[in-house]
Amino acid sequence: MMYKIVRKKELNPTVTLMDIEAPLIAKKAEPGQFIIFRAKEDSERVPLTIADYDREKGTVTIIFQIVGGATMELNSLNEGDCLHDFAGPLGRPSETEGLKKVAVVGGGVGCAIAYPIAKKLHSLGCEVHSIVGFRNKDLVILEDEFKAVSDKLCMMTDDGSYGTKGLVTNALEELIKDGNQYDEVIAIGPVIMMKFVCLLTKKYDVKTIVSMNPIMIDGTGMCGGCRLTVGGETKFACVDGPDFDGHLVDFDEAMHRGTMYRDFEAHAREESCNLLNKEVK
Amino acid sequence: MAVQRNMDPKKCPMPVQDPMVRRNNFDEVALGYTYEMAVNEAKRCLNCKNKPCRTACPVQIDIPAFIERVANEDMEGAYQIIAQSSSLPAVCGRVCPQEKQCESKCVRGIKGESVGIGRLERFVADWHRENCKDAPEMPVQNGHKVAIIGAGPSGLTAAGDLAKMGYKVTVYEALHLAGGVLVYGIPEFRLPKIIVQKEIDNLKAIGVDIETNMVIGKVLTIDELFEMGNEAVYIGSGAGLPRFMNIPGESLKGVYSANEYLTRINLMKAYKPGSKTPIKHSKKVAVVGGGNVAMDAARSAKRMGAEEEYIVYRRGMEELPARKEEVEHAEEEGIIFKTLTNPVEVLGNEAGEVCGMKCVEMELGEPDASGRRRPIVKEGSEFVLDVDTMIMSIGTSPNPLIRSTTPGLEANAKGCIVTDGDNGLTTREGVYAGGDAVTGAATVILAMGAGKAAAKAIDEYIKNKA
Repeated sequence: MMYKIVRKKELNPTVTLMDIEAPLIAKKAEPGQFIIFRAKEDSERVPLTIADYDREKGTVTIIFQIVGGATMELNSLNEGDCLHDFAGPLGRPSETEGLKKVAVVGGGVGCAIAYPIAKKLHSLGCEVHSIVGFRNKDLVILEDEFKAVSDKLCMMTDDGSYGTKGLVTNALEELIKDGNQYDEVIAIGPVIMMKFVCLLTKKYDVKTIVSMNPIMIDGTGMCGGCRLTVGGETKFACVDGPDFDGHLVDFDEAMHRGTMYRDFEAHAREESCNLLNKEVK
Repeated sequence: MAVQRNMDPKKCPMPVQDPMVRRNNFDEVALGYTYEMAVNEAKRCLNCKNKPCRTACPVQIDIPAFIERVANEDMEGAYQIIAQSSSLPAVCGRVCPQEKQCESKCVRGIKGESVGIGRLERFVADWHRENCKDAPEMPVQNGHKVAIIGAGPSGLTAAGDLAKMGYKVTVYEALHLAGGVLVYGIPEFRLPKIIVQKEIDNLKAIGVDIETNMVIGKVLTIDELFEMGNEAVYIGSGAGLPRFMNIPGESLKGVYSANEYLTRINLMKAYKPGSKTPIKHSKKVAVVGGGNVAMDAARSAKRMGAEEEYIVYRRGMEELPARKEEVEHAEEEGIIFKTLTNPVEVLGNEAGEVCGMKCVEMELGEPDASGRRRPIVKEGSEFVLDVDTMIMSIGTSPNPLIRSTTPGLEANAKGCIVTDGDNGLTTREGVYAGGDAVTGAATVILAMGAGKAAAKAIDEYIKNKA
């Protein structure tokens, strides 16, 4: 099986989009599910949530931030190259049935995952209010895509260089205070953002779903690395999630666990940079 | 040809790497018999008529027959006899708990030590691999297709048997590499991966297709496998979610499941210098559990550079479920056995990392339902074990992916797929299952036995249907 890169696009200096030829996965993929890739034969296995899919063309879209060795390796591949491995669709699809009015909150590269959910909800006739947040103007991704599927779009930046200055929680709170009654808030982004969205929605008693992206290896329910505490119980993001009721997730623990290999990652990033530099020379 | 029996009451010892050397490397521990050792050991077999060893083998290898060939120095003949019953002899010779199976019934074991059946099996398989370069013969195709889910010991055995009967077999593997527990779980020092690869190459040579990265239940359902022309499906999807103890602190950084720890080291090659797979380089490690997987984890930790490794087990040394040889090897390598000990809490520092494990001492009471004496907590025995890593090796529950996407496939309360008797038939027509997916965590050879029985049942089913 070849997993060919049929399109590669730089969305901003640290975020890349790729369409991957994977017809069987494209046929089954649903918003909220993820794939596991390995760029090369000796690469790590890395989970990435599916950003989009085209059942006719047989492609799956992934959007990734270049954060460590594995994503650097992936980014070193070009159109026409093949990924060594690409398995999925894994995890449970996001539940969209019966929702009439939803606020979709995306933070940073999390918007890549929030977008297909907004798109699906929109196609089902749901009223979609999208709130997307970025550190600054240069990092904004998928603005047009969100516009096309949202009844309302709030663009937030930390430094005010684009849209409104502030956090996604500021915009969400305003919308709720304005009298918008949401069936559900769907929040996807950095764990700290999801935590604060949940603290806010808890206050207003609005059901909130978050998409967790913990460290995992196999992604099929074997290694147990992706475990989280949800409502006091141990859950596995790969088979029980990745979507969970945000009011039940122990975010502090998830944040701790996410830093398990921070030193290793930093080191790998340097190594990869050096390797890339060598290749360039 | 009559052979001069060797009446030595002891079996020829297995040459091994020196414990002080091997605890620092991932090379194979047991080096294997030499030609002379094998022939000599084979001559200890009395070639009894009623073959009690054979009945105790889950795949019923004709043990006395192959051993007689070894005694007569017909190594390829010996291999052919084993190959009739086992698809993975080089693997079984290394990882089977022979002392609980074939060797437990050996007549020589009554007054001395049993014949070293496992060691001889390994010798024969290795001899064949090194000396016989002929590609296996391609079986005549019978025009029927069978799909197998999972390229572990159970699925590969079923695949091998069905391919030899002429079926077109496709094995679907969820991971990027075939082999299942043989590649992700059992470490290099106990089962070199080149041997697994060679056994898989042999299956490919007889026409078995192996498709990796295929998570059945997600990318294709069992119903779709039937729509694709398969007439039967075998589920050998193996063990699934690791169990935890539900004690405080299990989410701290530095608590691993044995599956995760071993997968990082074996499948993802974290043991190799320069590997891209992150792993904690621990100083003091507690492995909770007493099975083969626990031994593998503790011995791997030693080789990864840890200074102290504990096996923490709630029963006694006698009750350890691991193979005897693994326990002995672990002791030789300096693994510390804290038996009759049970963890009650994992302690963490302010960075959320493991900094200790609170334990209690146990004593054994009356036998429980499993026939083993039930461990009871000793009052006031609490103490803290100074560790920075904890590896949970207390079993797994079957993978939920297939049963949750296959209508009509029943599972029991524990999540194990329900099968009818010994042939592995599930509650769905044409769907068979075996190995850990049915039994919960067990051994490689039991999984292989189930694959073998199911292959036979599938053959009968398809023939009767036609």
